[in-house]
Amino acid sequence: MATAISEKPQKAAEPRVKPAPASIKRGGTPIIYFVALVLIGLMLTPVLFIILGGFRSNSSITVDPSGFPVEWQWQNYAEVLTNAVFWQQVGNSSIAAITTTLIVVGLGLMAAFGLARYQFRGRGVIYALFAAGLMFPMTVAITPLYILVRDLGLTNSLAGVIIPQVAFALPITIIILVPFLAAIPNELQEAASIDGCSRLGFFWRMVIPLSVPGVITVGILAFIASWNSYMLPLFILADPALYTLPLGTQVFASQYSVDTARVLAFTALSMIPALVFFSLFERRIVGGLTGAVKG
Amino acid sequence: MASVTFDKATRLYPGSTKPAVDALDLSVADGEFLVLVGPSGCGKSTSLRMLAGLEEVNEGNILIGDRNVTDVPPKDRDIAMVFQNYALYPHMTVAENMGFALKIAGVNKDERATRVLEAAKLLDLEPYLGRKPKALSGGQRQRVAMGRAIVRQPQVFLMDEPLSNLDAKLRVQTRTQIASLQRRLGVTTVYVTHDQTEALTMGDRIAVLKDGVLQQVGTPRDLYEKPQNVFVAGFIGSPAMNLFEADIVDTGIAFGTAVAEVDRETLGTTSGRKATIGVRPEDLMVSADNRGLPVEVDLVEELGADGYLYGHTDVNGQRVDVVARVDGRNHPNAGDRVFITPEPKHIHVFDVESGLRLSKPITV
Repeated sequence: MATAISEKPQKAAEPRVKPAPASIKRGGTPIIYFVALVLIGLMLTPVLFIILGGFRSNSSITVDPSGFPVEWQWQNYAEVLTNAVFWQQVGNSSIAAITTTLIVVGLGLMAAFGLARYQFRGRGVIYALFAAGLMFPMTVAITPLYILVRDLGLTNSLAGVIIPQVAFALPITIIILVPFLAAIPNELQEAASIDGCSRLGFFWRMVIPLSVPGVITVGILAFIASWNSYMLPLFILADPALYTLPLGTQVFASQYSVDTARVLAFTALSMIPALVFFSLFERRIVGGLTGAVKG
Repeated sequence: MASVTFDKATRLYPGSTKPAVDALDLSVADGEFLVLVGPSGCGKSTSLRMLAGLEEVNEGNILIGDRNVTDVPPKDRDIAMVFQNYALYPHMTVAENMGFALKIAGVNKDERATRVLEAAKLLDLEPYLGRKPKALSGGQRQRVAMGRAIVRQPQVFLMDEPLSNLDAKLRVQTRTQIASLQRRLGVTTVYVTHDQTEALTMGDRIAVLKDGVLQQVGTPRDLYEKPQNVFVAGFIGSPAMNLFEADIVDTGIAFGTAVAEVDRETLGTTSGRKATIGVRPEDLMVSADNRGLPVEVDLVEELGADGYLYGHTDVNGQRVDVVARVDGRNHPNAGDRVFITPEPKHIHVFDVESGLRLSKPITV
């Protein structure tokens, strides 16, 4: 967001040779700024409310729910950060998210490589099947999914969360990676094959290094989806020692329902990793969605 | 080093009834620079890719040295290829690009570095060894692609239109560099191009292809002086040879009001009363005595010392375009009507139906 805004004054400063079309193209009109600011405000206000609320005391929140902190209370955050349960939940969330991401990227790359660079019968059908996976939200499938996980004996374990998450993250991963890998020029594969690479060698030495932007994109999408996932852990995990952060937040919120400030601090802290990840790699994610390999 | 032999090699693309390369018989001697040339779609690139192992051979065999490589995968053929768009590995530096094949082959780091450096010196690439291909100009990328081939010290170099992505000036420069480099290294080279000038200037021998069929193989001079058929005659040489059908008369072939003298032996072999006559622009003269082919001058192209006269005429009711080389200082002007006659010793006669050469080779 910030970059988009900071670029605009630069462009407007360019000499306007053809004023009319330029203003249409660059769109730096007050109306557009206004709409953009309203949208940004809508998105950021709840986040800011939560973060700032964590610095306030309960009494001041009750008196003026939307005010700024008058006295900065660090103790809400400090208490959450010294809470062993919080760190355990951070650990669980991290294990689930990192494992999910690694498996999704690994399997997704392999499947996408096959679909993008091999000609075989039924390729279109398989690709369509993966794409069809996008049409089934986990919400619809949760009951049969639960039964399946239970029959596999994976209830109440992180594996029971990770495996379905991988399955549900694969469609988008493959749909993003296939065009990415298909864009690697054929000559590159031919040059590599003359230089002595087998097809697998090509995968390791060319495809993986060249698909890093795409891998980052799908990796982050999978990581954040797992980090924020609430429903699946809710169904699968019964033991509080295995709770991930979203579950923990919910439990914490019902446990300390009167201590609003502390709940806000807890929520803020549990959001932070996903937010940091997203903002760090925002540019890379867009790059991975639009970029192709240039030979 | 090794020779290369195509033995009735045929490539039929699935779903097509006409082979892209039809029973190609061609042998390239050890250390020779052979150029495959032809219009687009003639099968020259397919032939090269068959030799590289990137394209299946449906019938016939391909040999490198005495070894039949028809079913050998590309990596085991001991060849190196330069692609039209260079196909440099974008994520590797110049040095890594050049050393990649050696790395795969398990050559140790020190030797790899020495060989890369050697090749880089040869190609003036030393300052760029640490750069990525993205940070290089077109000419530099082309040299890296060459370097990647040289470092491997292969039996055969394959080059697929390596100059077509360069600008005109650089192309001419690089052309001579590649040719002299090849002579210095003495590696058998098969070079594909659609540009007949490139073919004439670079090749020890040239093979002309059309529609997947080999038309003629020979030295540049051979192809220029005794093209085996109408296609080769028209393809090799710039501006192209003047070719048109004309009536056969007693002592030769009608050339406007004059007669282009052709020996009886040749005339006897024609099918019918007509023949295709071919004369190169430099073998046409503007006649002083108003005999010969009457030509309306459309344009004269000035090249300093010489000029090219572009005009048209009428032969048996057919419009025929004519190009003739004229003196640069003293030439007819556009709109003039002139008579031209051929240099008697440099007339090419072809059969009207088969297009094959009838006249004896021109002695140089």
